[in-house]
Amino acid sequence: MTTARTTRTLRRGAVLASLLLLAGCAGAPAATPAAAPQEAAAPAAALPAATDCDDATTSYAPDGGATPTVDAIRARGSLIVGVSADTLLMGARNPLSGQIEGFDIDVLHQISTAIFGSPDHLQFRVITSAQRLDVLENGEVDLVARTFTMNCERWDTIAFSAEYLHAGQKVLVTRDSTATSIEDLGGQRVCAPDGTTTLTRLQETYPDVTAVSAPTHTGCLVLFQQGKVDAITGDDTILAGFAAQDPYAKVVGDAFSDEPYGIGVNKDQVDLVRFVNGVLDRMKADGTWAATYDRWLGALGPAPVPPTSVYGRVEAP
Amino acid sequence: MTQTIAAPATPTAVPAAAPAHRTGVRAALSRTPGKMRVAGAVAVVASLAVGFLGLRAGLAQSDALADADADTTQLVGIQDVRNDLVVADATATNAFLVGGLEPPEQRARYDEAVASAANGLAQLAGSNEADAELLGKATAGLTTYTGLVEQARANNRQGFPVGAAYLDQASSVLRTDVLPQLDELVGANSDRVDASFDSVASVPWLLALGILALAVLVVVQVWMARRTHRRLNAGLFWSTVLALAASVGGAVVLGSSAQQASDVRNGPYDETVSVSRAYSLANDAKSMESFTLIKRGSGAAYEETFVAETDEARTLLSRSTVDPGLVPLLDDWVAAHQQIRALDDGGDWDGAVALAISPDPGAPNDVFETFSAAASSSLEASSAQTHDALSGSGGSAVLVGWLMLVAGLLAAVLSWRGISTRVEEYR
Repeated sequence: MTTARTTRTLRRGAVLASLLLLAGCAGAPAATPAAAPQEAAAPAAALPAATDCDDATTSYAPDGGATPTVDAIRARGSLIVGVSADTLLMGARNPLSGQIEGFDIDVLHQISTAIFGSPDHLQFRVITSAQRLDVLENGEVDLVARTFTMNCERWDTIAFSAEYLHAGQKVLVTRDSTATSIEDLGGQRVCAPDGTTTLTRLQETYPDVTAVSAPTHTGCLVLFQQGKVDAITGDDTILAGFAAQDPYAKVVGDAFSDEPYGIGVNKDQVDLVRFVNGVLDRMKADGTWAATYDRWLGALGPAPVPPTSVYGRVEAP
Repeated sequence: MTQTIAAPATPTAVPAAAPAHRTGVRAALSRTPGKMRVAGAVAVVASLAVGFLGLRAGLAQSDALADADADTTQLVGIQDVRNDLVVADATATNAFLVGGLEPPEQRARYDEAVASAANGLAQLAGSNEADAELLGKATAGLTTYTGLVEQARANNRQGFPVGAAYLDQASSVLRTDVLPQLDELVGANSDRVDASFDSVASVPWLLALGILALAVLVVVQVWMARRTHRRLNAGLFWSTVLALAASVGGAVVLGSSAQQASDVRNGPYDETVSVSRAYSLANDAKSMESFTLIKRGSGAAYEETFVAETDEARTLLSRSTVDPGLVPLLDDWVAAHQQIRALDDGGDWDGAVALAISPDPGAPNDVFETFSAAASSSLEASSAQTHDALSGSGGSAVLVGWLMLVAGLLAAVLSWRGISTRVEEYR
C-alpha cells in the first residue's frame, strides 16, 4: 500500500517538476528547484518527490540553548563523521594527497571549526550509502554528510539538518548515446547504488528499465566503464563527478526528481541538529556556501541561491 | 623346461588314447621320480616368484617415490604461485595507501611477483595434465586481475577515486577467480602426495608374499628328506638360503627407503606445506591490513579476517617440523600491526597510514619483510630437502629389484639341479 502511494506521489512530483521546467525556467535546471519554492509555495510543497509527507525538509531551528551533545563532542576532541571516499566532488579520497575532500567534506570542516575553532578535528568513517542510517542509529558516528536525501521515511529513524544542497536525479550515458532522458532507456541496464532513493525510484517508477545495483556509486562507474551497464542514474552532483572522471560519459536530460540533501544526525541529538543548522545558516548567509559550491560544483553552473532552511519541526515527546 | 624334462618320464602315456592319458599321468605321478619332478617344478616356481616379486616391488617402490617427488614438487609449485599472487596483491593494496605516486620499489615487487606467478602457472600446467584445466582458469583470472590493477593505477595516477573501486574489484577477482582454483589444486595434489607416500610405505609388504615361496621351498625339502632319507639336498638348501637372503635384503632396503620417505613426509615435506600455507596466510592478512585502512572506519570485517589468518598461520608455524624461529618473527609483525590498529582505532587514521606505509627499519613493512624473508628461505631449504630425499632413494629400489630377480633366477637353477641329481639316481 505504501509502495503504491509512494509511486503515485513520485509520478505526480515528476510531472510537476517537468511542468515547472516547461513553464520557462529552462536556463539552469539544477539551480531552478532551489529558487522556485520561494516564489511558488504551492508547487514547492509537492516537490520533495521521494516522500509521502510534506515536511521532509523541515528541521529544528537553531535556538542558542544548551548543547550537551556538542559539549561531549568537544570534550572528546573529534567529530566523528560518516562520509563517502569515492564520490568525486562531494566526498572523495584524493589519491594524490590521500585526503578526503569535496562539498560535503567542506561543510563538515565548517562544523568542526564551529565546535573546535579548527577545521581538522574530523574523524572520518568511510561508509557506503546503505550504511548511512545504521551508523547513525547505532551511534557510531555523530554526523553523516554523504549525499543524503531527506525524506519522511528516514525522518522516522534519524534526524536531518536543514537542507544544504539541492540535487536532482539524472542519467549518465555513453557519449554516443541518443538517449536524452531515462524514458529512452527502456530495456537497457541502468545502475544505481544499494540503499538509495535513486534505486528505489528506478525500480518502482521505471519498470521498463533493467535496474542493476552496485555497493557504491563508483561501483556503478566501474560497471559502466566495463560495458556491464548501459547507463547510471543518480543525483546530478554525483554524476558530475563521474563525467569528470570519464570523458566518454555524458549527463543528459533534466532532473526528474528533487533530492534535498541534509546532514544526518541521531534522532535523539536534537541539540546537535540545531547547532549544525546554525552553522549552515551562517554559511548560506556569509557567502561561504556559494564559494564552496563554486569550488566543487562549478561544473553544474554558477552557484545558485542556497536552499532556504525550513524550520518548525517539533521535537517528539 | 619342466615339460621337456618331464616328457621322457611319460613316454608310455603320451601315445596312448585320450582316456588313457589320465591314468598315464597318474601312473607317472605315483612313481617317485615323477613326484620329484613335480616337487622340483614347484621349487623352481617358488624361487622364480621370489625374484619377480622383488623386481615388481623394487620398480613399484621407485615409481611411488618418483610420484611422491613429482606430486610434492607440483604441490609446492602451486603454493608458490599462490604466494606470489598474495604478495602481489598485498603490495598493490599497500602501494594504494601511499597514493597516486607509488614507490618504485613496491611497483617492482608487484611486477616481479606477477611475472613469477605467470611463469609458475605455465610450468605447472605443463608438468601435470590433470591440473591443466583449473590452472587455465586461474591464468584467465590472473589476466583479469592484472588488467584491473592497471586500471586502478591509471585512474589513481589521474587523481580519480574510481581507481579505488577498480582495486576493490581486482582483489575480489583474485579471491573468487584465482585463489579458490589454486586452493582446489593444492587439495588435489596433497591427496595425490598422500597416496604416493602411502604406496611407498605399503610396497615392502609385497615382499611378505616371499614368505609363502620360502615356506614352499622348505616343504619341498622336508618331503625330499623323507623320501630320500638324506637330510639335506644341497641345491634346494642353497636355493632356499639365497631366496631368504634376497627377501630379507630386499625388505631391509625397500623398508629403509620407505622409512626415509616417511621421515620426509613427517619432516621436511610437512614443514614445506605448513610454512608455505602460513606464508600465504600472512600475505593475505597483509592485504587485509591495507584494506582495513582503505575502508577507513568500515573495515572491521577485514581486521577480523586478519586476526583469523594470522592465528591460523601461527598454528601452522608452531608444528614440530617447522623452524621454531618463525613464530617469533610472525608475532613481531602482528605486534607491529597492532600499533597501526591502535592509531587508527584511536582516531589517528593519517598516523596509522603513515606507519603502515613507512619504509623505515622497524616499521611494520620492514618487520613483515623480515618474517617474509625468513619464511621464504625456510621454504626453499625444506622443499629442496624433500626433493633430494625423494629423488635419491628411487635408484636403490630399482637396483634391489633387479638383484632380487637375479637371486630368484639363481635359486631356481639351484633348486632344479638339486632335484635333478636325485631324479638321476632312479635311472
